[in-house]
Amino acid sequence: MKHIFLKLVIAIFSLITVSFALLIPIVTSPKTFFEFPIIPTLEEKARNIFFHVPMAWISVIAFFTSVFYSIKYLIKKDEVDDIKSSSAANLGFIFCVLATITGAIWARFNWGEFWNWDPRQTSIFILLLIYGAYFVLRSAIDEDEKRAKISAVYSIISGLTVPFFVFVMPRIMTGLHPGSLGDASGKGPLFEAKAMATNMRIIFYLSVLSFTMIYFWILNLKARVEVLYMKNFENKN
Amino acid sequence: MYYFFTQNQIYIVATIVLICLIGIFLYLFNLDKKISKLEKK
Amino acid sequence: MSFVFYVFKKDFHSELRNRYSINSLLMFVMITISIVLFGIVSETSDSLVLSGVLWIVIFFSSMTGLSRSFVNEEEKGTTLFLQLNSKPLHVFLGKFLLNILLMLFINCVTILLYFFFVSDFQVKNFSIFFLTLFLGTFSISLSSTFIASIVAKANTKGALFPILSFPILIPIFISVISATKISVEGKSFSFASSDFQILISYILVIFSASILFFDFIWKE
Repeated sequence: MKHIFLKLVIAIFSLITVSFALLIPIVTSPKTFFEFPIIPTLEEKARNIFFHVPMAWISVIAFFTSVFYSIKYLIKKDEVDDIKSSSAANLGFIFCVLATITGAIWARFNWGEFWNWDPRQTSIFILLLIYGAYFVLRSAIDEDEKRAKISAVYSIISGLTVPFFVFVMPRIMTGLHPGSLGDASGKGPLFEAKAMATNMRIIFYLSVLSFTMIYFWILNLKARVEVLYMKNFENKN
Repeated sequence: MYYFFTQNQIYIVATIVLICLIGIFLYLFNLDKKISKLEKK
Repeated sequence: MSFVFYVFKKDFHSELRNRYSINSLLMFVMITISIVLFGIVSETSDSLVLSGVLWIVIFFSSMTGLSRSFVNEEEKGTTLFLQLNSKPLHVFLGKFLLNILLMLFINCVTILLYFFFVSDFQVKNFSIFFLTLFLGTFSISLSSTFIASIVAKANTKGALFPILSFPILIPIFISVISATKISVEGKSFSFASSDFQILISYILVIFSASILFFDFIWKE
């Protein structure tokens, strides 16, 4: 096992962050660092921020890692990069589904319906569609090199459209998420708005960081397995 | 059910955490299966 | 530049000879509009809803005809000839030009039919409406030309074209539908300007990306 120290740090770090996110009490008038202020209409549900937002964040990050390795593949034509790109997409799809489900549950209790076609919900849905189209394309081509090349180009092209709906659309369309048009509290996402206290914001960033590290760890595992799989398959032929 | 969750909001958080964990574990199980296949070869 | 027109002319003549794309596109427009008419028969519908429906008609008609441009070459086995004789960029631009022409023609027909048959659909601000239509047509044919080149390389083509195109076309559809709604409501031009900004920046981004990456697909 390589980098065992780093992996231990990731595990302990995320354990501490998650326990902070779950255990710090929410009170009306916080006095110390270890007390969250109450956010009206959210209350205890405010803790969802620490779990739901990282999932959505990772599904975007995973998509961009896939795009990154696609570009690297087109430059160097190394099969390993193609494998990394497809593994990132594979893992990103899982996190995208998780973000959609957790978001739908949260929406049921805050906005009344599981699905409201809010701009951000729309964009996560489109991200799911892109991942789906990417996998369909990969399964439609038989030759390895051709598949790698064409799916790399497709992932780059769809990657270029991602900023349009992840960042632009929610600010133009009216929506329910904080930060979208028609929301009085602020122009940015929730963690930029005044609604979130400093200590909450710190825990939020830490939780995003720890989930991102977990994501890269799993991605590393997945890519290594896939590389082994490919080599094994080549030896058999 | 809905009423119970609105009264005990911490359970919503618990559900969401559980779903995240279940998703990640399902993925890990899949990965594990693939490794076992490799070992058998 | 002359090579672009060479590719364009070649495709244009082969299109004139069998008229497959144009006929299938026209038939598809007829079919979708008649389905819409069956759906709204003897009911007064909202203009706002109908402006969304218009783009559904345009989307489905473009999905049937536009994929032909590259698949045709692959099926006839003429890809190699084109690869040897012209640069990738010229091929792409030539095909793109033909697709734009085709889509503009089809969309004019669609609009005429739509105005004629769907009497509830009334546009108040025509300058926004036609600018939206032009930009929408331009960006749809741009993205679908590129996706068509990808689809032509796949072993199982089937329903691949709409599946691959839809996620990429969504930013266009969202802004185009909202701009059409603004034109129906008769608001001033400034309300639609953000939609036009999105459309134009989308066109710029996708156009430069397709020029950059078309080589990889074409030479495969």
